[in-house]
Order: sequence, then C-alpha cells, then structure tokens
Amino acid sequence: MAYLVIFHWGWLLASLLLGLAMGWIAVVHRAQAVSKVTSRWLGVLAAALVAAALARVIPGRPGYWLDLGLIMFALYLAGCAVGSWLRDWVVSRHAPAA
Amino acid sequence: MHGLFRWSSKWWPGVIPLVVFWAIAAWTTTPPLESELAARSAAALKDSLLDKTRITVAGRDVTFAADAFSEDGRRGAVASVAAVPGVRLVNDETQLVPEAKPFVWSAERDVVRVTLGGSAPLPATKGRLLEAARATLGGVEVVDQMNLSRGAPPRFDNAALLMLDQIWKLKDGKITISDAKVSLAGMARELGGREAIAAALKNLPEGFSVAANEIKAPPYIFQAYKDPVAVTLTLTGYVPDNNVHAALVAAAGRKFFNEKVADNIKASLGAPSGFANAVVPALGALSRLSTGTLVVSDREVKLSGDAFYDAAAAQIRAGLKDFPQGWQFKADISVKPASAPVDGTVCQQLFSDLLAKGKIRFESGRATIDPDSAGLLDRLIETALRCPSANIEIAGHTDADGEDGFNQALSEKRAQAVTDFLVKAGLPAERFTAMGYGSTQPVASNDTDEGKAQNRRIDFVVR
Repeated sequence: MAYLVIFHWGWLLASLLLGLAMGWIAVVHRAQAVSKVTSRWLGVLAAALVAAALARVIPGRPGYWLDLGLIMFALYLAGCAVGSWLRDWVVSRHAPAA
Repeated sequence: MHGLFRWSSKWWPGVIPLVVFWAIAAWTTTPPLESELAARSAAALKDSLLDKTRITVAGRDVTFAADAFSEDGRRGAVASVAAVPGVRLVNDETQLVPEAKPFVWSAERDVVRVTLGGSAPLPATKGRLLEAARATLGGVEVVDQMNLSRGAPPRFDNAALLMLDQIWKLKDGKITISDAKVSLAGMARELGGREAIAAALKNLPEGFSVAANEIKAPPYIFQAYKDPVAVTLTLTGYVPDNNVHAALVAAAGRKFFNEKVADNIKASLGAPSGFANAVVPALGALSRLSTGTLVVSDREVKLSGDAFYDAAAAQIRAGLKDFPQGWQFKADISVKPASAPVDGTVCQQLFSDLLAKGKIRFESGRATIDPDSAGLLDRLIETALRCPSANIEIAGHTDADGEDGFNQALSEKRAQAVTDFLVKAGLPAERFTAMGYGSTQPVASNDTDEGKAQNRRIDFVVR
C-alpha cells in the first residue's frame, strides 16, 4: 500500500484536491441529494469492493485497478469531508457577524 | 457529525471527474508499474540459484516460473519475490529441476570437436566445465549438450574437471561419469597418454571409482634398418627410458661391428613389458642379414631382409632364443644371391678385412661364442663359401695372462668352437683345421689392456 501511495502520489493528490473542492461546494450546493436508501446501497457496494480488494480475489490488472480506484475514492472522500468541514467552519464564523 | 452526513449526500457529482481521473490513471500507470515490478522482482532473485527464470507481471500480480535446484531454494525464491514492495500476489509456477538417476555426465572427443553431454548439477558448474574445456582444448570446438539435473554425487565438479583434463590426451573417445563410477574408452593421442590418464585417475575425488578404463594406446613402434650401401644401422621409434636406450645402442654397437649406428630413438612411456628382452635378440637377428628391416610394433616383431646363406636364413626363420613370453616373432627372410667365387688369396684378404673390423668374441675364459658375434661369423662364412677350394686354418690366440697351459687349451677350444660353427652352417669339415697357439703369437704388447684385447683373437688363414 505504501508503495502504491509513493508511486501514484500525483493522482492521489488530485483526488484529494477534487474531494476538497467538492466538499467545499457541497455545503452550499443546491444539487439533488442522494436518498438515504441509495446511499446505504452505495455504502454496501463500497464495503463489498473493499472486501474484494482486501481478499485479493480479483486477479491481474483488474485487481490493480480496483485497488487504485479504492485508494483514489478514499482520498476523495477524505478530501470531501475536510472541504465540507472547512466550508462549514468558514460559513458559521461569518454567520454571527452577518 | 450530522452535518457531515447531510453534506455527504451532495458529494456525488465529484465522483464523475474522479472516475475520469481513475480511468486515466489506470490507463497510464499500468505498463510502467508492471515493468518496475518485473525489474524489482528480477533484482530480488539475483542471488537465487535458478534456471529458466520467467517473470511476468499483470497489474501487481507476479507470475514467477523457474527451475530450482532444491526445495529450500525454491521456497526462498518465491518468498523473496513476494517480499518485493508493491507485489500483491505471486503465482508460483516454480518447480524443482528433475532428478537424474543415475546421474550421468559425459565428454566425448572426436577429431574436430568435444561434446559435453548428460547432466550437470548447477548452471555454475556447467559454465565452469565449458570454460575449462575451452581452456584446455584451445582451438577445438566445444559443444554443450548438458542438461541441468539434481542428484549429482558429492565432489562431482572436481571429478568432471579432472576428466576434462584427460580428454585432451585422447585422439578420440568418451569419458563418462555415471553416479560415482568413471568409464573411459578411446584412443590416446600420443604414446604414454594411456599411462598418463591411468596416473591421473588415481587423483579422483574421494568416493569416485573407475568402472572401466578401455583407453588404447597407439602402437609402440621401434624400427631398425640395416643399409649395406651406406653401411649404417638406423634406429628409430621409441624406447621406454634412457637406460634401455643406452643398452640398445650399446648392443647395436657390439652386434653391428661394421655399421655406423644412426640413433633417432625417443624415450616414451607405454612400452609393452619385456621390450628390451625382445628387441636385443631381434637386433642380433638383424645383424645376421646383409640388408634388412626390423619393425617392433607393440608385441609383434617383424624381421625382413636377406640372409648371407641358406643355413643362416633357416636359423633366423626358426625363431629367437630367449624371446620373452607373449611376444610374436615373424621373419620374412630370403637369401642374398651368392657372390662371385674368388681364389684363395682374395679370400684371405677378405677374411683379414673382416677380422680387422670386428672380432669373434667369447665368454670370458671360456670357449662359448658370444651371440653378438653372429653377424661377423655369417660374413666370414659367406666369404668362405666364395672360395670353396681353399683350405682354411682357424687359429686361436690368447693374451699372456694366466698359465700357458690353460691359454693353450683355451685357444684350441675356441678355434674348435668356431670350426664347429662353420661346419654347422654347412661348410665341409675337411676344409678347416682348428689350431690353438696360446699366447705365443702376440700382435701387440701384453702390457696394456688394449694390447691384450688385440692378442685375444681368432685368425682365418688360407693355406
């Protein structure tokens, strides 16, 4: 895993930044939200993919692509969380002033 | 926390560019990642002892195929590939090198090349054997048909290297090591090669033994040619050592009283046993021929040429006395055409000439004719045959040492012995008178050894 991070740091950084941006936007975005049921299913799907990656059941290149995708997605999520939290912090600091 | 859940429901639009990123990343990084993992795996295997190593990488999974030389080595190699950072899975397609039973290695030599075949235990051994073969056989083509196998006996390398050292001593042949048994067959390149190989086999590493040594040596040849025109005896070929060499040249000097001895003999190992004991009497037989060739090839002695008279030819054909066992003597003897008859005076002159060049020798203090004098006696007989009407006195003389009575008797007995020899050769007994003069007619001073030697003599006097 450490090797993958070193080898793909550029792509991972890009995912993180994308996540940050998306998180930043999401706080004030008016897009349609994913329903609870759908997000639960998506969570199950993500867990299944992580389980498949950890169990190394997918061989060869697809296995590698899965690992890569999951790491990128994890960093994206982390970026989103940090971004949203930051935006929320900025918005709530300005709100009392306003 | 609640906010995070709320916001996360709106994170999905970013997934679309993320998927694009992911596709591009997967597209561009797969080949470099695979080649880097292949290089790292190969580097990790640098110190492993393997043959036919093949590494293929798909994604982060390494398919690793190789032939290993031991189970531990095989496991170690797989583990070191698995330990390469970034490798996710190792598809282990390694196997053990097949075990050869019996473990056979061979080196075969023919005129133009040396072929190494059979099994070698390790790639390093194989390389070392090839290198050694090329080094010892400079210029000769070395063909490698060796496979790698397990099951070599201990100290195989040393044994095989020792055998490679021997292969250059062969003209053609094959050396095989089967488990710990060594078999050799073929023809040595030079005389002595067979003996050198036999000596080297004593240095085989512990545990190895010789199953069969069928190395043949080229024929061991000795030749002597008596040339009546150039009055030389030419000796060529091989003798076992310098002592035999000296003994043969000395014997030739005694037996060939007239001829100059041209000595082109070389010393070499590999002589059949009893060599000197066979060649000395054969040289004696050659000395009785007017012209002739003696060829000794291994244990076969061939003598061809012209004898001086019929009886001599018959005696030579009858074989040699004191010939060693296991030796063969083949004589192809004809008789030299009789020389023109001459009268008594010329005969006397011829006798004197012959006896000036050589002397009839006897055993010390006895009346037994030395076999070395056979050649001279034959020449004397031939001369006597040329003047059939002349009566000849065989006159025995001694030096002045010892009692007169003994000398007188000895000179008479020696003269009689010569007369008997002539009669046995077919000359009429009534033509010869044996006379003994003791020491009464010296031809030189009896004070010196040289003078005494001149005084001990047999004279032929035409009456």
